Amino acid sequence: MDYVIKTEEIKKVYNMGAVDVHALRSANVTIAPGEFVSIMGPSGSGKSTLMHILGCLDSPSDGKYFLDGEEVSSFSKNKLAWIRNIKIGFVFQTFNLLPHLNILKNVELPLMYAGKRASLRNEIATDLLTRLGLGDRLHHKPSELSGGQRQRVAIARAVVNNPAIILADEPTGNLDSQSGNDILSIFKELHQEKNTIIMVTHDKNIAKIADRIIMIKDGEVVDGDITN
Amino acid sequence: MAISLTESIQIGFQDFWTRKLRSLVTIVGIVLGTMSIIVILSLVNGMNEETMKWMTERGGLAKITISNNWEAKNPLNLPNYFSYKEILLIKSLVPEAEVFNANIYLRSNFKYGENTTFSRTIGAFPDYELVEEWTADRGRFIKNFDITESSNVIVLGNTIKEELFGSKNPIGKTVTVRGQQLQVIGVMKYRFIGNSGSNLFSDNPFEYMNRTSIMPISTMINKFGQRDAIDEITIRAKSAEDAVALKNKLEDIVLNLRRGYGIFNVVSAQEEAEKMKQSSMMFKIIFFFISSISLIVGGIVIMNIMLASVQERTREIGIRLAVGARRFDIFLQFLIQSIMITFVGGIIGVLTGVSIVKHVGAFLNTNTVVDVTMIYIALIVSVGVGLIFGIFPSIKASNLDPVEALRYE
Ligand SMILES: Nc1ncnc2c1ncn2[C@@H]1O[C@H](COP(=O)(O)OP(=O)(O)OP(=O)(O)O)[C@@H](O)[C@H]1O
Ligand SMILES: [Mg+2]
Repeated sequence: MDYVIKTEEIKKVYNMGAVDVHALRSANVTIAPGEFVSIMGPSGSGKSTLMHILGCLDSPSDGKYFLDGEEVSSFSKNKLAWIRNIKIGFVFQTFNLLPHLNILKNVELPLMYAGKRASLRNEIATDLLTRLGLGDRLHHKPSELSGGQRQRVAIARAVVNNPAIILADEPTGNLDSQSGNDILSIFKELHQEKNTIIMVTHDKNIAKIADRIIMIKDGEVVDGDITN
Repeated sequence: MAISLTESIQIGFQDFWTRKLRSLVTIVGIVLGTMSIIVILSLVNGMNEETMKWMTERGGLAKITISNNWEAKNPLNLPNYFSYKEILLIKSLVPEAEVFNANIYLRSNFKYGENTTFSRTIGAFPDYELVEEWTADRGRFIKNFDITESSNVIVLGNTIKEELFGSKNPIGKTVTVRGQQLQVIGVMKYRFIGNSGSNLFSDNPFEYMNRTSIMPISTMINKFGQRDAIDEITIRAKSAEDAVALKNKLEDIVLNLRRGYGIFNVVSAQEEAEKMKQSSMMFKIIFFFISSISLIVGGIVIMNIMLASVQERTREIGIRLAVGARRFDIFLQFLIQSIMITFVGGIIGVLTGVSIVKHVGAFLNTNTVVDVTMIYIALIVSVGVGLIFGIFPSIKASNLDPVEALRYE
């Protein structure tokens, strides 16, 4: 099978003094290019842990993670930085914008680390934010925006380098239903543009917009192939 | 795909600006440190310049003097002065000397017609005028043939001339000194200091020179029977560079004349100046280290504040790592910020230092010399402090784990 992401028996153990916390016991997921997948599961089941590993923000304690057929554990730190910069866009539940930078600068950040010229950065980021309906807010600080607007900025930042894969950890978790729907329609659009999307959600109705839902329980993928 | 240096500087500047007040408080130690470097170095430079000027005025760096060493051991009771013969011997042994002079003295009444006055007379060689940079502005000064012939000639001090001759021309006239007839061949240039001029004799500290007359040293010895006990010789080499060799040679000569006893000191201005330069260098180094203490304290303050800043900005670091910053980018961001803080401190320190030097220097009437080198030194040192004390916090920042940093509250 053709895939962009494939994990084999991924485990994540946190050593908390006397006890080991098994955040992930055995996670096997395979994602095809262009797929839109939802991940669901109870709180504390290991969804965020898995997303962080898939996003190369964290590394598994055991198991293998293949990204485009290459094993991630063999990558240097700089290569991981490059993957986070170019290949994978990450959208957080809490937005994670830099509070002292305006939203234009926030969106320019990945472009800067990609080595793009200042004028080009400005052009790309302005264009993207305008398309997301924030063209009149470019020089506002994140704190001056609503939650939905902030998440749109965060999505713009995640996709500004045209990554093939977009990971979103409860992107609508902090939003009211109207703003949540706006965000979801952006993801649908990105899906139509052939991006691979993995989205964690607690909401079954939201999960349904994906091609497939992966269920996680107690750090194990219990049902990885519920196709809508 | 590295983030460029200008980019890092830009981020550093933003950081600096977002935390203006803290940044300014942080640099106090650096400001004081660089300021004191500037103030101290310029004071020492000023002192050096002053002393060099003084030395140059006193016959320059080529000057060598031979004089009594009062502390010398002299068990054989050898003469601690030179005879005239010895002087002539020494003179003949150092033909390379450009200037050679030795003096003896005579105090006596001078008589011309009805007029009598008292003058201190110096028995000198022709080079006296070069040593003292003082010569006859009427008639002529003593020449070599006056020495060889022990001629009965005299050059009068200006005041002595006034008192004996008034407004009459004295050249060619004869004055009587201790019963001997001396022909006046010249009158020394009037010496004074200050802007008062000739009508304020009593205020002129050089007036004693205007009361001094000069005759050939040989005449004073041969004709006046003045004892030929000479305890000081002044010599000038062709150049400051030649002075050291000539000084060594003279040292050997005078040691030989006194059976190896160091009864005379031979001192070269060049060597003195070098010694002085060395001691002022020592002075500079010592004070440099004293100012370094405040720089080190400033550096430690900066390190602590940078560490606090890294901690406070953990989440920011996590976000930057999450969107693709490499560890080196983070390292550079914090290091550059640290360097910028100290560099700004250095600039403020230099500016306040220079203005303190200008104002205090003028107020205390001390000579101060600010040169570009010490401004560079101060700035380089301040940047160095930022670099050294910024490394540890920057490494700490760049070693953060992305997920843990993002989780940080
Ligand atoms: N840094 C850590 N140290 C210790 N334990 C951790 C750490 N990170 C996560 N865990 C534990 O691992 C388990 C999985 O956490 P994770 O955040 O992946 O859950 P989740 O499925 O995302 O939950 P939620 O739906 O509430 O976001 C939890 O029991 C959590 O307490
Ligand atoms: Mg979670």
